Parts: sequence; C-alpha cells; structure tokens
Amino acid sequence: MSAMEIIKARERRITVLQGTAEVSDVSGIVLTTVLGSCVAACLYDPVARLGGMNHFLLAEPGATGLNGADEAYGVYLMEILINAMLVRGAQRSRLRARLYGGANFNPAMAFVGQANAAFAQDFMAREGIECLVADLGGRAARRVEFAPSSGRVRSLVVDARAVPPPVRAQTRARNDVELF
Amino acid sequence: MDQPPPSADAPPISTLIVDDSPSMRALLRVALSPHGHAVAEAEDGLAALAWLKDHPRPDVIITDINMPRLDGFGLIAQLRAQPAFADCPILVLTTESSDEKKARARAAGATGWIVKPFDPQKLIAAIRRVIH
Repeated sequence: MSAMEIIKARERRITVLQGTAEVSDVSGIVLTTVLGSCVAACLYDPVARLGGMNHFLLAEPGATGLNGADEAYGVYLMEILINAMLVRGAQRSRLRARLYGGANFNPAMAFVGQANAAFAQDFMAREGIECLVADLGGRAARRVEFAPSSGRVRSLVVDARAVPPPVRAQTRARNDVELF
Repeated sequence: MDQPPPSADAPPISTLIVDDSPSMRALLRVALSPHGHAVAEAEDGLAALAWLKDHPRPDVIITDINMPRLDGFGLIAQLRAQPAFADCPILVLTTESSDEKKARARAAGATGWIVKPFDPQKLIAAIRRVIH
C-alpha cells in the first residue's frame, strides 16, 4: 500500500449537501462538496482546532436579485454553522473564513453564482470574520476538500457534470411561530 | 399576505433586538423598520440589560438564544424577575427547534417562539398579536 493509499484509508469523508452544515474537530475527517453556482464557507478556529463547512444556494435560477427571504436563509445557514462551532468551543473572534464556489458556467444561473459569492463576502465583512481565501466566481465547477481539525483546504477544478443539480430551497422560512 | 403599512400618525413600535450576529440584527432592522418599528440593537443578554436600564421599556423584545456572556434564557429569566418587565412581550427568534429548548424558554417566561429562518410577514404578524 502506498503512502497516499494509507492516508486515504484513514480518512473519513463527509459530503456537505446543499442547505446543510457540518462541523468537526476529528483528525482524519474530510468535509467535501462539489460546487457550481453554490458557495461553501469553510470556517476554522486555529486555537480550538475545529472547523466547519456549509453549502448554500440563495437565489433561484433566472433570478436577478436576492430578496429578503434569500438573505434571511443565507444568514440562517451561516448561523447554523457558527453556532455549531461555538458550542464545541470555538470563539467568534478567532474564526477565519475561506470561501469557494459561485461559478457562472450555466447561463440560466449566471446571476446566481455572483449573488451567492457577494453574499458570502458581505456576510464575513459584517461579522468581522477575516476572509483568508475567496476562490469565487469564474466559469469552472469546484470540488472542495476541508480537513476541519487542521484547517487545510483543497479546491480542485472538476467537470461541470459532477455538480449535483440545484435543490430548490424547500425550507427557506420555517414559518414556525408559536405564541405561548 | 402583506401587513398593512403603518399609519403616518401611529407611534413607532419600540423594538429591542438581541442577537450576537450583526447580519441577523441588520436583517431584522430592514424587515421591521418599514413597518413602524423603531429598532434598537443589543449584541447579547448583558448588553440588552444595560440598554434597558437606560431607556424606556420597549413595546417588544426579540431575542436570540445562543449568545455569549448571557444567553436568551438568562436574559428572559432576569427580566421576568423585574416587576417592570413582568408583562413585556419577549419573542424568542432562534435556530433551535427542539421541544426541550422551547419548553425551557416558555418556563423562563418567553411570550413566543419563532424558528429561523424567519418569514418577515409572519414575524410582523406575531409581534402585532403580542403587543395588542
């Protein structure tokens, strides 16, 4: 068995699906996703040695702008990721971001990649989270591999056919209101 | 269904938003301000208590649960222990959806429980119901 095969055998890969977030501090875990117009934010706390990734698509194909519900959904997916890290010992002030995706290779999604990328960058700026990498835009699909215990990220160009079809945001607003 | 716009002479609904995310506070401000809300912000429970000490009681408080220093449960419990806040509407707006957390908020004295991501119209409708 080659050295690379040994490393791979010790890895456990977790695919981060659109509309979800995964967090881990376990050595050997690799969070991975394939992005077209979607964006993935990889956040890392170098002191807690803990990382997490989300994967989002805020606008629908053909959209020309983000509406309030899109923004609320994006902020929600960021909050899910950040809260999951904070409860495991991360501190907001130590978080560093790496952003990937937001490609514009599909004409029907031309605005969408750009809008997702801009949202992610604006979010990090507003929250005061330093953005170390913004590998965004362009015309190529990406596979992102993130080792959350070390903070190392690889972004590889992949065939656009590897990108899963976008999922309609089925739960933009939960509409879950209960008055006691 | 859209809420009717606020009438020009109606007094603003003073609203304190308590959330550690500047983005979430900005979203709420943008959603509520055009509907007659005068919005103030606090970044956690302690900042909210400090603000409330120096300002008149707001018409409604909207608070997150997961926050540093003093979380939403602690904020609600501390406010309900003060006679001036015994009947102040306090809505929880959170990513938490577990029944256990919801029961805890209710026991602490929350007026209502709204799970993010929020629908602005439903949030406004819920506020209207608890302040009248």
